[in-house]
Amino acid sequence: MKTIEVPALARVEGEGGLYIGVKDGKAVEIRLDIYEPPRFFEGFLVGRYLQEVPDITARICGICPVAYQMSSAYALEKALDVRVSPPVRALRRLLYCAEYIESHALHIYLLQAPDLLGVPSALDLAAVAPEVVKGALRMKKIGNEVLKAIGGRSVHPVNACVGGWYRWPDAAPLKALLPELEWGLEAAKECVKWSLTLPYPDLEIAYEFVALHHPDEYGVIEGEVWSSKGRKLPVAEFETGYIEEHVKHSNALHSHTVDGGHYLTGPLARLNLNHAQLMPAAQKALKDAKLKLPLKNPYKSLIARAIELVHFYEEAIALIKAYAPAGPAHAELTLKAGEGAGATEAPRGLLYHRYKIDEHGRVQFAKITPPTAQNLPRIEEDLFALAPKLMKMEQEAATLTAEHLVRAYDPCISCATHFLKLKIESRE
Amino acid sequence: MNILVLGIGQSLRGDDAAGLEAVRLWRETHPQTARRVRVETAELPGLALLDLLMGADAAILVDAVQAAAPAGTVIRVGPDELAAFTPDAQSAHGWGVAETLQLGRALDPALAHVRVTLLGIVGKDFGMGAALSPEVQQALAEAAERIEAEVQELLAGERG
Repeated sequence: MKTIEVPALARVEGEGGLYIGVKDGKAVEIRLDIYEPPRFFEGFLVGRYLQEVPDITARICGICPVAYQMSSAYALEKALDVRVSPPVRALRRLLYCAEYIESHALHIYLLQAPDLLGVPSALDLAAVAPEVVKGALRMKKIGNEVLKAIGGRSVHPVNACVGGWYRWPDAAPLKALLPELEWGLEAAKECVKWSLTLPYPDLEIAYEFVALHHPDEYGVIEGEVWSSKGRKLPVAEFETGYIEEHVKHSNALHSHTVDGGHYLTGPLARLNLNHAQLMPAAQKALKDAKLKLPLKNPYKSLIARAIELVHFYEEAIALIKAYAPAGPAHAELTLKAGEGAGATEAPRGLLYHRYKIDEHGRVQFAKITPPTAQNLPRIEEDLFALAPKLMKMEQEAATLTAEHLVRAYDPCISCATHFLKLKIESRE
Repeated sequence: MNILVLGIGQSLRGDDAAGLEAVRLWRETHPQTARRVRVETAELPGLALLDLLMGADAAILVDAVQAAAPAGTVIRVGPDELAAFTPDAQSAHGWGVAETLQLGRALDPALAHVRVTLLGIVGKDFGMGAALSPEVQQALAEAAERIEAEVQELLAGERG
């Protein structure tokens, strides 16, 4: 019995590796290697019927299944020239609110806060500040409950499909969650205040921010891909501005802009580009925080997440209050050969899908560009900026500092796998 | 007594699906027993495990494990052994079952009283898209009987 490795429980694939090569006291090479499942899924989807795609891609990530469902649904609807009805769209936003609530509460309190508070893990945080962790679990659970009420189950919701929903969820269980969501909204406001008191390391980076932008709402589904450098592209032209490339050391693809620069996607990008579209309580939280935008410190994406938490509780409450399902739950699909691209904002950044389908609705080609692949080169560049500090630290402190930076990006690996193995190699 | 049988694992990752498949098989072969308890499956439950455990007096988790034992071996980790398990700090950001249980118990007295037993099926191939290895496939029948035995023992305790 002593030989069993309980913590592994088979969830070991995808250890991240970080390698820093040093010459004359300076970092000359940095490689972050992260295992990434979408590559497998692109092949796995070929030949499948389009309606299977949302459910299959939802399995790519245990934390953001909704993002994969939504990006694939929009891409496939584009290929079929289908537009969903306003009530279908509103319920999609609500499903997404639930995912943001769940994902952000997890990341803020249980993944990044331990780094900022100087404790090794959420378990240790629970020992010194049990009320904080209890509150976090309660905040997160509300997201689960909303997902379950719409999607049938909380981990991999099964109700979303190309064209809309298999069935309208009952209104009563959703409305019953309103008091708990109201509690969550207040907790999120407190979370913003608390987030401002945390000791973030100094690091300011002149990022190019990239996020989905929608003129009438906080950009999550549909809209244009905006860059802080002024590039504005319809989703269908995403690949003309942002290129994915294979790099030798990683089985994850790395992205760069068409100009060759690296860019940042995720909560900082969204807040900086889309703060005008936040809902009123989130606007107020942002104003009261007296932040100078754009926020350029990657560690402070925690603050952006906290403000987004306020927004998504607020939006979820508004959507549930207005929820009165009417008309068909999904659009009728007329199959034809075609191609379509879709992008939505996963909690950790822009998630782009493109599919080609044949006249029977079978997938001929699939391309999935997850946020973590887009941010990888950016993380490596940030680590270069951090390297002089790391060089002066003991191995353990250096590993923790590097891990914290990577974790602040909320990469897909941060929850599903064990973490970094840091190797610093001198070439002198 | 509220008993939960929970199969955990990712269906598209080879032997990682062992827990899901074992619970499915048990349900098929022992439908009468399955009707008397709560049966759930979860692909990557993470912290939602705590929500799944809520309200249970006893839980049997069935999951694939990596261990220094031949593939297909079914290992039982009883409630006391699981409770005593301490995750090492290096892996505490991952959300393994043991860490999650410990977090839940630290925070919620209701969870501290759930008697959790883990039936681990030793896997060898966790590749994306892989099928169950023949060893694990063969072990499913034994795993299903072990689930049945665990549930029967709990139900007998209820009567006694």
